[in-house]
Amino acid sequence: MNASRNIAEPARAPVGAWAAPARVRLGWLNSSKGLGILLLMPALVLVVLFFLMPVVLTGVFAFTNMSTATGITGGAYQISPGALRVLTDRHGMGDLAERLGQPTYVVDDRGLAALEEMGIDPGIIAGLRRQYSGETYSSRREFERDIRNLPVRPDTRTVKRISEVFSRSLGNARFRSSTALIAAADAIDPDLTEEEKEALTATTYTGWTWTNDNFRRLATSRDTTRVFFNTLFFVAMTLTLFNVGYAMLLAITTHYIPERPAGIFRIIWFLPRISPVVIYVLLWKWLAWDTGFISAVLSNFGVRPRNWMLDTAANAWFFVILINGFVGASMGMVIFASAIKAIPESLFHAASVDGAYRWQQIRHIILPQLKWPILFVTCYQTLSLLTSIDQTLLATDGGPGGATEIWSLWVYHTALNNYAGNLQYGLGAAMALVLVVIGIVLSLIYLRLFNYNALVAKPRIEL
Amino acid sequence: MRILLDKFSKSFGDVRVIEDMTLEIKDGEMLALLGPSGCGKSTTLFAISGIHKVTGGRILFGDRDMTGVPSQERNVGVVFQSYALYPHMTVADNIAFPLRIRKLPEAEVKRQMEEMANLVHIEALLNRRPAELSGGQQQRVALARALVRRPNVLLLDEPLANLDAKLRLEMRSEIRRIQLETGITAILVTHDQVEAMSMCDRIAIMNAGQIIQIATPQEMYRNPRTAFVAGFLGSPPIAFIDAVANNGMLTVEDADIRLPVPPNAETPPDGTPVIVGIRPENLGRDGDAPVRGRVSFVETQGRENLYDLTLANGRVLRSIQRVSDDVSLNDEVEWRVRSDQLFLFSQNGERL
Amino acid sequence: MIGHLRTWPIVLALSILSAPLVLMYAYLFIDTVTNSPPRSFIPNEFTLEHWSFLWETRPGRPSIWRVTLNSLLFATSTSALVIVVSSMAGYVLSRLNVPGRAYFLAGVMVLHAFPAITLIVAIFLVLQVVGLYNTLIGVILVKAAIDMPLGIWLMKGFYDTVPWEIEMAGIQDGASRFTVWRKLVLPQVKPGIFALGLFAFLLGWGEFILPQVLAPSGNAQVLSVYLAGLIADDNNFDMNLFKSVGLFYMMPVLILFFFFQNRLMNIYGGGSKG
Repeated sequence: MNASRNIAEPARAPVGAWAAPARVRLGWLNSSKGLGILLLMPALVLVVLFFLMPVVLTGVFAFTNMSTATGITGGAYQISPGALRVLTDRHGMGDLAERLGQPTYVVDDRGLAALEEMGIDPGIIAGLRRQYSGETYSSRREFERDIRNLPVRPDTRTVKRISEVFSRSLGNARFRSSTALIAAADAIDPDLTEEEKEALTATTYTGWTWTNDNFRRLATSRDTTRVFFNTLFFVAMTLTLFNVGYAMLLAITTHYIPERPAGIFRIIWFLPRISPVVIYVLLWKWLAWDTGFISAVLSNFGVRPRNWMLDTAANAWFFVILINGFVGASMGMVIFASAIKAIPESLFHAASVDGAYRWQQIRHIILPQLKWPILFVTCYQTLSLLTSIDQTLLATDGGPGGATEIWSLWVYHTALNNYAGNLQYGLGAAMALVLVVIGIVLSLIYLRLFNYNALVAKPRIEL
Repeated sequence: MRILLDKFSKSFGDVRVIEDMTLEIKDGEMLALLGPSGCGKSTTLFAISGIHKVTGGRILFGDRDMTGVPSQERNVGVVFQSYALYPHMTVADNIAFPLRIRKLPEAEVKRQMEEMANLVHIEALLNRRPAELSGGQQQRVALARALVRRPNVLLLDEPLANLDAKLRLEMRSEIRRIQLETGITAILVTHDQVEAMSMCDRIAIMNAGQIIQIATPQEMYRNPRTAFVAGFLGSPPIAFIDAVANNGMLTVEDADIRLPVPPNAETPPDGTPVIVGIRPENLGRDGDAPVRGRVSFVETQGRENLYDLTLANGRVLRSIQRVSDDVSLNDEVEWRVRSDQLFLFSQNGERL
Repeated sequence: MIGHLRTWPIVLALSILSAPLVLMYAYLFIDTVTNSPPRSFIPNEFTLEHWSFLWETRPGRPSIWRVTLNSLLFATSTSALVIVVSSMAGYVLSRLNVPGRAYFLAGVMVLHAFPAITLIVAIFLVLQVVGLYNTLIGVILVKAAIDMPLGIWLMKGFYDTVPWEIEMAGIQDGASRFTVWRKLVLPQVKPGIFALGLFAFLLGWGEFILPQVLAPSGNAQVLSVYLAGLIADDNNFDMNLFKSVGLFYMMPVLILFFFFQNRLMNIYGGGSKG
């Protein structure tokens, strides 16, 4: 409507109206650098918090003996029977341990003051001070006999209350700091040597401490070798059979059939990837469990129903590899299929004219084109298989009897979830550190393989 | 507004693209930056607009030094080859964008936007999206958007390159009309000499990061400073042959041609090798210096015919003549050159 | 088609290979609304009893709706966070002249390949110390951080396709670089943002191990952990119930995949985790 009005009006030369323009009000962020840093900030914060810091902390935790028992924030000093045993066995300070362990009664001013506050007969207090001040007893009976011998004789209940006040036993006492611990020990045995003090603080500490035991254990444990070879077997088999091999089979076969069925097959093989992992593994369990599909079908042929997924190590591996492989195959399938699609039609036609059979087409035209995609998938999937955990955890949980325990699952069982209940964070971190290091190395190699410099085009606006 | 590039240089990394270039664009004029691709003309445009920082020298708008001023404050209107319309906005919003950025009151935005749409004749398209427009229409929108905020200078970067031949002719005159109506200072970057000559007041011809010559189109055509300039202007292009100065004449030995030295050049000393430039319109039936050769190519353009004349030494001259039936392919002919219209260049292309 | 050989043997072979998967997924539907006699897989009655979990909360377990809401919160928040962070950082990597841009880009590639799950022990301990253990916020942050490198990578690719001239025009029109990004460039990559958001949502919806470790119980439980808990409970084995909960859980995935299959397949193919 406006337009028609404007057309009717002849366009005048607006030279007169060519006045000074309104000034631009530049926003507060106009430099590439300033805006860039601002926009990168959230990503950087997330990277620091959830990548860099955890990498460093994994390294740090790996050198501690953190566990459920020690806690993670720090601990106290407790003269437990266990600690005293360590003192005896490992430090050869049996005497000290005995002294600390046995009940001790010391008649000191502190106790006497406490008695006054409790409102005990002043005669009793005066008697105690006069006759026994400074005395030490190692037996309650002895001490209480002496109390009863006081000139003002307290009744039996009061005797008990008095003796309790003078009890200076350290057994099962808990101290906030090492100074408090040493002060208390000094009260019992004023002649503690520096060496003894050190041993005492070390053995009674309940928090975590620095250690390289984790790595020693990893290096010497037989489990390490077993889990290592399990992992190697798992990665190698899944990668070659499914993530590359089967994916290639799917990509090539669907290339040779009409688009409609090909699309249907691609979607079917995509299902494992898009399904939430819990459901996906559940479907396998339905297939394999003793009340499941395989058992039911085979029972018609007289085969005893059983849990096919967990009855033998071989079966467990069979399913673990299948379950992981079916998920992995779809990624390779999509990548390979698009690489094959990119091959010019004319190449195929030329080949058919030459009388090449399908196999020769695959051999001489398709496979050479898949070199880079295969390398890409191999790199990528090696990393993700090495660290994959969900499917195996939900399917066999490492069973039967640890047969399918792979490294990442081992970390999980050690540090995050086990039947014993004592989660060994430090050891788990040491195990995870192995994966972290492998992960960093492999992803750097991955970066080298894919020349990223080509991706960094120079910005064309110099502002 | 007068624009002055004062000893302007630009490098990318170690590569010097432009060195010490000085160029003045007068207030209200339309100047063409003409040159082959890679000659630095787009770099110059980016420097004026502020998209690129200059490596050395100054850029003045009027008396104001704009060298360090950010792009946004320079108030430069740019029409890009691809038009760079904002695809997610309607035509009206595209044109209004620069005004809204300046926080003008909405009524004023609407008034100015419509005025500008009027000027470029796209009143009926205001509610469309760029994808629904033809190339020529997009071009008009881009012009309107560049002009709506009354820029100090309008930069046109190959504005016609994406249009088909017919639209190109139409937009050529449209852009010129709009420039004249608004009286804005404009710089047209192009590699097409026809565009430069037909649209602009003056042409600055560039090669390898340097301005070779600045002149009006007529002057530049008649009086090219170098062989490069002569070769760049004119269609069909000028032909060059090697000759040697000899006794006040120019001889092409192995083709048996002798041409007089044109009055616009000084007579070179005997034995000097020179390059002679002959425009196609100056070789034909009338003239003063005979040239013999074989007609090796005939192209009919309707009103005129274009001939290639291959000389005895294998070099080719071009001739454009009124259509006639007496010459056909492979005829041996003797035509004439108007020797007063010849250009004489030294071996390295400088005009003599 | 290519060559003139028959295709039916290939179709047949593929059908046989695909049979187990088809069977499993077919029975995922069938078993939720039918009962079959023992030792048989031919249903003999139609029933809705397996869906009773929708209105009856099972003892010792949170309500399914509470858990579904958690899953929804978890997946949408992660997705939103990934979108925001990636669309910001991706733009910088694609377009802005910041010092060390090449290193950021290399870093993103390394992080994209790096298996973040290996850091779970450290993250678990950190969340405990800062008090975000067993909270949705904690696990959302972690999941978003893990998905972010892929997001940045994809967004950079989307930004790369926006013509430079649009930005140049915006700057000439007087817009600051921030405004150019916000008003001119961001609208051009909307389809990309949508695809990324959808993808991140699905990743979050299906995620199991992170919530299992970082927020296993209480008010933060999500559907995957809930379902895994049901299945792991040896005393109440009811495959039909598991499948019904599973189908309920998978419904959004199937719907989204049905409508946006091509876009999603491309992203998955472009290199996701797993």
